[in-house]
Amino acid sequence: MIFLLEYDRRQGKLVTITSFPETARDKASAARLELELLLHEQGTQHEIVILEAHDQAALRLTHLRYFEDVRGIALSKPAG
Amino acid sequence: MVSSSQIDRLGDRLRFGQFTDDDLRELDAYRQSFVGAYEAVISSIRQELGLKPTGRPAKSTTSIVDKLRRESIRLSQIQDIAGARVVVENLQVQDQVIADFVRLFPLASIVDRRAAPSHAYRAVHLVVQVSGRTIEVQLRSRLQHVWAEVSEGLSVVFGVNLKYGGGPPEVRRLLESASRSIAMAEGLNTKIALLGEQRAVLEEQLVSILRLIANLKPSHHWSADDISS
Repeated sequence: MIFLLEYDRRQGKLVTITSFPETARDKASAARLELELLLHEQGTQHEIVILEAHDQAALRLTHLRYFEDVRGIALSKPAG
Repeated sequence: MVSSSQIDRLGDRLRFGQFTDDDLRELDAYRQSFVGAYEAVISSIRQELGLKPTGRPAKSTTSIVDKLRRESIRLSQIQDIAGARVVVENLQVQDQVIADFVRLFPLASIVDRRAAPSHAYRAVHLVVQVSGRTIEVQLRSRLQHVWAEVSEGLSVVFGVNLKYGGGPPEVRRLLESASRSIAMAEGLNTKIALLGEQRAVLEEQLVSILRLIANLKPSHHWSADDISS
């Protein structure tokens, strides 16, 4: 699956997460650009990133920082 | 085909925060040019190595701008525009994956930060060129990954990027201490695993010797082979 994440680095919070099927990379990329242009117009500085993983659970294993704060990360079961 | 100079001028505009919507579109087009190489590497890792990487087909604009501001680097020189992350159990598996990856991509370069960490960050980065585009695979052990994620999390708390040497000294010291402990623990685990393998070999030898002894008869004629085996 493809995941489009909007992340507020200052707050350390995931703002939105949108998933796309593996075959929809072009659609996900277009959505990424559209979101970035919108936020740029608004003057909002969020991180917009596309990540690809089997499912959200797999994504959390390798990129937990988008989902948890440092306490949640430190107390989580390490991936592997 | 966009020239490197054009890309680097775009990078300068990003670095200094003077970019327009068209610049964002141009950056996106540049990122899209890595997709073919990215897909080739990701599918190879999945199908040939049997691993489950999390892929990042396009580095975020925020991360690109941070890198341009943090380092004396041009946009065309950034190696991880597209990449992936693989987390494995331990050092031994990590070593095996490196060996397998190099067999798959003989010209890959290996940036091994395990013994020589970068601001206490330990991992192995595998960098491969496909069709003129560079793809970077971050290969981390479980513990190396926890450290990196905690470091990222602390960067949010303290508002600076601890992974690159920033932050309060006491926090840095804790991270450095944790990084050293991880290296020692992983090193010990490797030694324990090797000792376990050696013990298994010795036990097999002992069983062979005991069988030999058990089959001895008074009339047994010793040969050199009996003694040496």
